[in-house]
Amino acid sequence: MSTGLLDPGVVRPTALARANPVAKLAVALVLAFGLLLSVDIVTAGTAVVLELALLPLAGLGALAVLRRSAVLLLAAVPVAVVSALLGVDSGAVLVDLGPISVTSGSLQTGGAIGLRVVAIALPGVVLLATTDPTDLADALAQVLHLPARFVLGALAAFRVVDVLLDEWRQLGLARRARGLGGDGLLASARDVAGRAFVLLVIAVRRAAVLATAMEARGFGAGEHQGADRTWARPSRLRPGDVVVVLVGVAVTVVSTAAGVAAGTWELVIT
Amino acid sequence: MSTTEKSDAPSTPRRRPAGIGATLVTAVIVVALAALVWQGPTWFSEDGVPGAAQPGPAVLTLVLGALALVGWRTAPRRSWRVVDIVVASVLGVAVGLLFTLFNLAWNPISGLLGGFAFLGAVLTGPWLLGGVVGGLVIRRPGAAVFVELVAAVVSALIGNQWGFFTVIYGLVQGLGAEVVLAVLLYRQWGLTAGLLAGLGAGAAFGVLENLVSNAALPTGFQLTYLALAAVVSGAITAGLGGWALTRALARTGALAPLASGRNAQRV
Repeated sequence: MSTGLLDPGVVRPTALARANPVAKLAVALVLAFGLLLSVDIVTAGTAVVLELALLPLAGLGALAVLRRSAVLLLAAVPVAVVSALLGVDSGAVLVDLGPISVTSGSLQTGGAIGLRVVAIALPGVVLLATTDPTDLADALAQVLHLPARFVLGALAAFRVVDVLLDEWRQLGLARRARGLGGDGLLASARDVAGRAFVLLVIAVRRAAVLATAMEARGFGAGEHQGADRTWARPSRLRPGDVVVVLVGVAVTVVSTAAGVAAGTWELVIT
Repeated sequence: MSTTEKSDAPSTPRRRPAGIGATLVTAVIVVALAALVWQGPTWFSEDGVPGAAQPGPAVLTLVLGALALVGWRTAPRRSWRVVDIVVASVLGVAVGLLFTLFNLAWNPISGLLGGFAFLGAVLTGPWLLGGVVGGLVIRRPGAAVFVELVAAVVSALIGNQWGFFTVIYGLVQGLGAEVVLAVLLYRQWGLTAGLLAGLGAGAAFGVLENLVSNAALPTGFQLTYLALAAVVSGAITAGLGGWALTRALARTGALAPLASGRNAQRV
């Protein structure tokens, strides 16, 4: 499926890129829950280093990886700064401005929080970029056995992304032709809000038509009669997928072990 | 034709054991959560010292959890028609595109007001809309989670600054709204339901954000963050905004095939 916004660009077919989407999802989830347990700079730092070392296996071009992962800093840096400024103080005082103070302790936790955000978000970015929505839907329904009607309904809706983007542009042109909108922050915000509402109306109307069309082709039939659905694209776990999941588990275990060995690992929820 | 309401009597002749299993698992989780609250987690006390027992909040957790489970099992419209599924999916995708719009706008906003630490708590409302609008428009059990999750997946697949976190947050925020609608037994869809569902989504976001981003900050900050997220982003922006949006959508007639459009039509 090729949609403009969802197109990952050129993906080299490495073992990681070709892995079953469910395996990629498992890797991202294992890393997320493993790393969320503790806030410490050693665990998060080790995880980020290991992930960066594994990046070339993702199958994306260097430029694509850089563009997609650099944007993570936009979220991670403010979180780290707030934690360093307002966090619980300990250790030597570096900067003191009344209620806001930076100590070596709070600087370290700030760094740990920021690194942790990157460590959890990064695999998701890279793995999502190499995942085709169709493959994802096939895997979710056949491997995880999620309800097929919902998975396929969502997949059908993904194809509407391009249509909605087109509608968005046309709405802008139509509003301009009618003399709506204008310059200035407030006017453009109101303009965007108006377009967003009409976009929602169009989306719901289109969905009702789409539902009728899908039902006319037998979608959702036999759901309660025990009929088994057959699949055009079989999706199953292969030995390579197990390896991918094990690598994800290994990254989590090694970083946690590094944190424990350094004595900084500490369970955050007590 | 798909858009006419079929009989809402449960069309499943045999009870699916999977549903009962999930209910039992959820019941166990609720009891465990109530027990945890009774123990008095460090959140209720100052400076991380385990607090005294909290029987009041624990009983409240238990009652709300039981109500949510009863709501889930006895919802008046348990089965989804094809039109419900497809409208919920497309609504999720459209909301996901709006999320992307806010994702892009977020960086200049947070750059301008970067010194204000509670920024996220006050301005997260737009990202909570999926659960409220989804629940109020579709009016089926699971609609809030489904719409918010689809929207989050679209936002993550397009690519944003939060990466895989987007999916986790979407799931948790959707669950926050869903639990509230379940506690209301899936029978309330008015302004109150919208406000409370928004409150639930905002509180869920606040708890998750405290675990992820604010984990190193003082307890007082975290509690203020949670309260602001639940009331300002949740109840006011997402709750009131989501309810108004749903009503405006119904007025256009676009929701006519759905449960929410049927009693909103002016004759």
